[in-house]
Amino acid sequence: MAGIDTGGGHGGKRSVNQEIPLIPFIDFLLCLVSFLLMTAVWTQMSRINADARVPGPPDPDKELEEQKKDLTLHVEMRGEEKFQLVWKEGNTVRDTIDVPRKQVRLNGDDFSYPDLSQKITEQWGTTGSHRADSDLKRDQAVLHTDNTTKFEDIIAVIDSIYAPQRLIKLGGAEETISAFNVTFAVD
Amino acid sequence: MPLAFVAKKVSGGGHKSVNHDIPLIPFIDFLLCIVLFLLASFSASGELPIDKSVRLPSADNVEDMTQAPMIAVAGQMILVDGIPAGTTRPVKEANRMQKLDELFNILKGRREVFKQINPGKDFHGIAVLQVDREVEAVVVKSVFQTAALAGYPNVSFMVKNRGGGKKRG
Repeated sequence: MAGIDTGGGHGGKRSVNQEIPLIPFIDFLLCLVSFLLMTAVWTQMSRINADARVPGPPDPDKELEEQKKDLTLHVEMRGEEKFQLVWKEGNTVRDTIDVPRKQVRLNGDDFSYPDLSQKITEQWGTTGSHRADSDLKRDQAVLHTDNTTKFEDIIAVIDSIYAPQRLIKLGGAEETISAFNVTFAVD
Repeated sequence: MPLAFVAKKVSGGGHKSVNHDIPLIPFIDFLLCIVLFLLASFSASGELPIDKSVRLPSADNVEDMTQAPMIAVAGQMILVDGIPAGTTRPVKEANRMQKLDELFNILKGRREVFKQINPGKDFHGIAVLQVDREVEAVVVKSVFQTAALAGYPNVSFMVKNRGGGKKRG
């Protein structure tokens, strides 16, 4: 057992040696560890981003021809059978792609749309406006839903929109970011 | 009664002694390390107060959680960091997207407080929405729009990390 031995106690004086009670101390520590382990928060929570900051209307002081409009990907999820991916330049529709609405069940109640992820990744690879690693801007995706769509469905589609990722160079460092920035349509 | 045979046995009884000192000091050091680690990660109020009734959806392509006001939609209640901030009833009754006044006022107040406390510091306008997976889009969009109008355009949805995709910092 641990103790403090000063080697004293000679010459008729009372010994100043002391035994430290380690067993109660260990008991106390074990209780503390048990309490902290029981109350520890073991969660793996994350977030998926959506952004209300969308590019504004054209600058009225400049000629419209001078202002190159970015292509925007509109993801229409109101159909029961299919998703519709629409590339728009302003109000002009450039391309429309249908994707079958095939839900793949994962663990428990979770599900995903791998076909949609794959198609969006392909589409961004060919049509996305911001693909250079020096380009810090992201392509804009606009999500169209009806009022009764469940939140879990919205998250599954946003997750698919975030599937294409790209590298950007910030100074000397490289970082992986999502190719798209998602917002909601107000219709 | 002195247990002479035990004393004899323990002290060796002519053989090698079987007495052993248990190394308590390294054991205590180890326990202290665990205690310090757990205390450092301990939060008396709970790090992420998730309402038991809220079942979060999961996703692969996620980002790390960030420090921001937490807007929870639990049943019909809307809470901002646990403080009631109105209900979703008007949105459900009208079945159309609309601004939620009580939520708007609370968020706007928080934004103004931040600006008063941190003059000259950038306000990033981040809010985290904690929404049950069964909640309808009209409610989600109304809360999203209200947060954006109150000066929080950078809205994130809290999800469980499935871990399949690459976690972006």
